[in-house]
Amino acid sequence: MNYKTLNTNKLPEFFEKIKKTGKTVLAPRKKGNKTFFATFDSFDQINFDYVQTALSPKSVLFPRVEELFTYKNDDGTYSVKEPELKNEVVVFGMRPCDGVALDYLCDFFLNENPDKLLQDRKNNTTFISLACKSFDNDCFCTSVGSSPAETLGSDLCFTDMGNGSYYVEVVTDKGQKLVDAFPDLFADTKEINKVEQLAQVPVRFELKNLVPKIPTVFETNIWLDQSLACIGCGACAYVCPTCSCFDVQDECNPKAGTRLRCWDSCAFGQFTLHASGHNPREVQSNRWRNRVMHKFNYSVQNMNTISCVGCGRCIRVCPAGMSIIEHLISVEEA
Amino acid sequence: MEAKNVYIPYQMKIEKVTYEAPQIKTFKLKFINPEDEAKFSFKAGQFGLYSVFGEGESTFCIASSPTRKGYIECTFREVGRVTTALANCEEGDTIGFRGPYGNTFPMESWFGKNLIFITGGIALPPLRCVIWNALDWRDKFKDIIVIYGARTAEDLVYKHELAEWESRSDIDLIQTVDPGGETPDWKGEVGFVPAILEKNPPSSENTIAIVCGPPIMIKLTLPILMKLGFPNESIFTTLENRMKCGVGKCGHCMVGNNYVCKDGPVYRYDELLKLPLEY
Repeated sequence: MNYKTLNTNKLPEFFEKIKKTGKTVLAPRKKGNKTFFATFDSFDQINFDYVQTALSPKSVLFPRVEELFTYKNDDGTYSVKEPELKNEVVVFGMRPCDGVALDYLCDFFLNENPDKLLQDRKNNTTFISLACKSFDNDCFCTSVGSSPAETLGSDLCFTDMGNGSYYVEVVTDKGQKLVDAFPDLFADTKEINKVEQLAQVPVRFELKNLVPKIPTVFETNIWLDQSLACIGCGACAYVCPTCSCFDVQDECNPKAGTRLRCWDSCAFGQFTLHASGHNPREVQSNRWRNRVMHKFNYSVQNMNTISCVGCGRCIRVCPAGMSIIEHLISVEEA
Repeated sequence: MEAKNVYIPYQMKIEKVTYEAPQIKTFKLKFINPEDEAKFSFKAGQFGLYSVFGEGESTFCIASSPTRKGYIECTFREVGRVTTALANCEEGDTIGFRGPYGNTFPMESWFGKNLIFITGGIALPPLRCVIWNALDWRDKFKDIIVIYGARTAEDLVYKHELAEWESRSDIDLIQTVDPGGETPDWKGEVGFVPAILEKNPPSSENTIAIVCGPPIMIKLTLPILMKLGFPNESIFTTLENRMKCGVGKCGHCMVGNNYVCKDGPVYRYDELLKLPLEY
């Protein structure tokens, strides 16, 4: 890995220069009391005072609603047009846990039956993470094998060293290319111990106890107890950086239109509903169990990794006050 | 690896529409583009996503046998938005199809064995593919038995083919309808499929049982097969979970860590027993 430094007062210039190359820069911006990724226009719009963005940058690779193709009816046969994805994007300010999530998401979508749309978007995007200097009660990255120092899934990782400069870890070739494009901004440095600068997120449960425990409680009432509050709104999946389920729908009419995919959630009763009326996951506790099992067991079986990165968004967003941390602790103690 | 947009469907012409039963139709489909047809092949047990542009996609098995080249058939019941739109299509119309997806029935490993198919209602189409495939390879198998039931005589699908199987000496067909579903001239059995199986017990010796039907039929049929001495490894079924992508991504069809669309839809009973009961 290569290491660089960037003066913090050079950051506006960095963004302006990227913008001038025709790329879109997405950076954190405050909206109400939450922070979202938004297209960069001017530096004073950027918000640096956030623990976590309300939504992850997942949608940059896997949009909420995405065109699969458009069609036009020409006298009984259809002309079909695939989307061309050319827009180049630089995402700045995601937290390291989101990088881990992107790494998982890309593994899932690209390793077997690779997904062209996600592949194209990934090729066009550079992800810059900004290591965490603060955390809140809902952060639990250190409980799921990650930490604010993690660089997996980021192309570049910035750490504010508190001395007027960012320490920049160049993680991938794509990150190297971006740094190389602006040689006057970045200075070479050697590897620095950044950990002292970072948030010390407490460990809430022991993953190595939890993972083997989860399948053993599959048939117990623990899921029912946990999901009594769940209203099946699907918000947890919507904000989750690793949730990847989607629906495929058509829009418009037989003459011309779009087939698209949009995010879906296993929390919804209709998600598994058969045409016959039979529903394999009939009650909310079955759906809740599936969510937790997928993150902590099915992913391990299929991809040799859990698919929860401890970003805490599902806890912050849940209108029923459910906390996956508490639930996982109760499984661990069951 | 250069990825491909798998969501672009083949365009298919509806060559023939057959009315099978109330709200159930069969489409015979031909590829519009000869290059698509040339590179297309499938095996018994696979499925596809059929679509009406502007309405969406729906998942059904390929109901014709891979031994019959140049076309595919699907049989569906009109229940939702897409299947209603499909049912409104006419001969000559163009629909979308993508596939084939999923695993296959291991028919080569059944050579030299007896086959018994146990099925009900709209679950005959996925097995019809296998039955015709077996009949086209008739000398590879010993006895072939089909037990097929529906709620009423009218609800039986492929009536013309059932008549053909009745008249053939190389396949035994036992048809049944639920009590009250018979017509005055009904010559078949009356009773639920599991009961009819019990009444006509096949030998489990050197026999493969292929079971597909509504969950309640499967649930009541399996204990009878067990009692007859069928080992789990000789029983096969095919699952039909809700699916949206067909390639193991959309998550709808997941049963435990399995994606029915790529790890299934065909399961041997001992493999099925390892999965949670979420199908």
